Amino acid sequence: MQKLRRDATGASLNAVGVAAITAPRRRKERRFKLLQFQAYAFILPSFIGLLVFSLIPIVAVAVLSFFNWSLLGQPTFIGVQNYAKMFSSSAFWHTLLVTFYYVLLNIPLQTILALLLAVLLNQNLPGKGIFRTIFVVPWMATAVAMGTIWQWIFDPQYGSLNTFLALFHINGPAWLSSTTWALPAIAAVNIWQYTGYNMLFFLAGLQGIPSDFYQAASLDGANRFEQFFSITIPLLTPTLFFVLVTDIIGSAQVFDTVYVMTQGGPGKATNVINFEIFQQAFEFFHAGYASALSMVLFAILIIITLIQVLFFRSRIVYDLS
Amino acid sequence: MTSVSTEITASKAGARTKQARPQIGHVTRYAITYIILLLGVVVSLFPYLLAVLTSLKESNQIFSGAPWTLPNPLTFQNYVTVMTQYNFLAYMWHTLLFAVIVTLGQLIFSTMAAYAFARIDFPFREQIFWLYLSTLMVPTIVTLIPLFLILRTLGLINTWAGLVLPYVLGTPFGIFLMRQFFLTIPKDLENSARIDGAGTMQIIFQIILPLSRPMLATLAIVTFVPAWNNFLWPLIITNTDNLRVLTVAVASFSSNFGTQWGPLMAAGFITLAPLLILFFLFQQHIVRSIHLSGFK
Repeated sequence: MQKLRRDATGASLNAVGVAAITAPRRRKERRFKLLQFQAYAFILPSFIGLLVFSLIPIVAVAVLSFFNWSLLGQPTFIGVQNYAKMFSSSAFWHTLLVTFYYVLLNIPLQTILALLLAVLLNQNLPGKGIFRTIFVVPWMATAVAMGTIWQWIFDPQYGSLNTFLALFHINGPAWLSSTTWALPAIAAVNIWQYTGYNMLFFLAGLQGIPSDFYQAASLDGANRFEQFFSITIPLLTPTLFFVLVTDIIGSAQVFDTVYVMTQGGPGKATNVINFEIFQQAFEFFHAGYASALSMVLFAILIIITLIQVLFFRSRIVYDLS
Repeated sequence: MTSVSTEITASKAGARTKQARPQIGHVTRYAITYIILLLGVVVSLFPYLLAVLTSLKESNQIFSGAPWTLPNPLTFQNYVTVMTQYNFLAYMWHTLLFAVIVTLGQLIFSTMAAYAFARIDFPFREQIFWLYLSTLMVPTIVTLIPLFLILRTLGLINTWAGLVLPYVLGTPFGIFLMRQFFLTIPKDLENSARIDGAGTMQIIFQIILPLSRPMLATLAIVTFVPAWNNFLWPLIITNTDNLRVLTVAVASFSSNFGTQWGPLMAAGFITLAPLLILFFLFQQHIVRSIHLSGFK
């Protein structure tokens, strides 16, 4: 066998060697181009869908926000008047406040409960499969049917909740008719609906943590609480990030339960921004104004998501070693 | 009595007493765990109990009594009415078809795109991916208007194509989920396959997909259930009986002549039942799997 001379990279340099380098290199280039083509081909179907059914409508909404349109007839251009009207309207700021308050009531409690249930069901408990199924069941009901049931539960006179409270001699409030309690009530229904769903993601995250970490920690004498905060929580940060980002985006856009249970009332106590958008577009026929509201919500959600990305960037842990 | 037993346990080797204490702690822990879980079960299922009771009552009892009283007499008439007087079998078929088509589309097209985003390096990859994600942040209420107009221009109002098209080519959420999962699959597996000369399709079908079966089950459930329960979009895009889905049909029980609670609740359960069955069949796959996603 002829001895191959090699250059600095270890590639062979003689004639046979040259042919041996260039042929694979050409093949690699061809494969690279083929890969790139495949990448675009794989993305193409979803991109067409995104373009036609998502991007174009979003751009249309952005454009529409500078117009006045009653859904009938032609839109009329009014420049930034929708935005001017919005930012000077106390009703708008109230809507933002309501939405913000709702997310605050909803997300922390829901996340903690979901995590708690996931931790409990991550052990080798008899019947854990049944428990997991039962906790996810609330997520599967439609808003119309369940919203109605919850209205009954919250009924001040005949509702199960006040009847239950009366057993403890607590005089329950008017819930959905009370400006103080209507929004917490809606938040409670949403927590009921989505805790199990989020529990699934946390369960998955928990199962991804290698048990070696816990074994090593208990050998070092750490108790269960210390293990939870120094192993479990850090290694759950990727899951936590995903859950928080998607949940905040979702709950800021709450609509179904508000529509079925309170219609934004009493007064404007539960007038979250998505419900306001719906009313403006389909009940007051101010489609341009509704579009402007949508754009503002979009901007707010982008900012909130960016804040979360920045917060988690230095804190996400993938490996404790 | 206690002093005798502690004396006895104390007199034995230290290992014995150490074993005795954790056992009691174990029982307490299990008890607390089960109490919390059972509380969760009651809270989760209680509203459904109300719904079941209502669906089994006659209409005059629904109006006169409190919601949690037992049905007297117990009647299945509501279920019978729903299934016979209203075209519910057809609606169930439409809903099933819609959910299956959308889920299949999601599984195929989102997975394809997710693989490209996760494993192939191409120009503008990150930018395009963030473009997909940003569309999740726009409320769909108003985008429904231009979407409706687009479909009307394409002549697809009240058609199967119009109903499924916005969903069937994959959604950003599905792509996000699968991409996160694909990022956690060790690259060496693929690299060694490529060195052996495997093409992309081979890699996908022989390596990636078998490893992804659990996550694909997750994606299927997370797509199927919301598709089954989708209300607003079918409401807008369909207007005849031959395309009506369950959610729209259930809402019609709450019409101008006041709400027919009994049939409404029965219809609600008829809508829910298939989902329960499906989830119970799929839930093992989901939990065993999602952990691989890593969400990096």
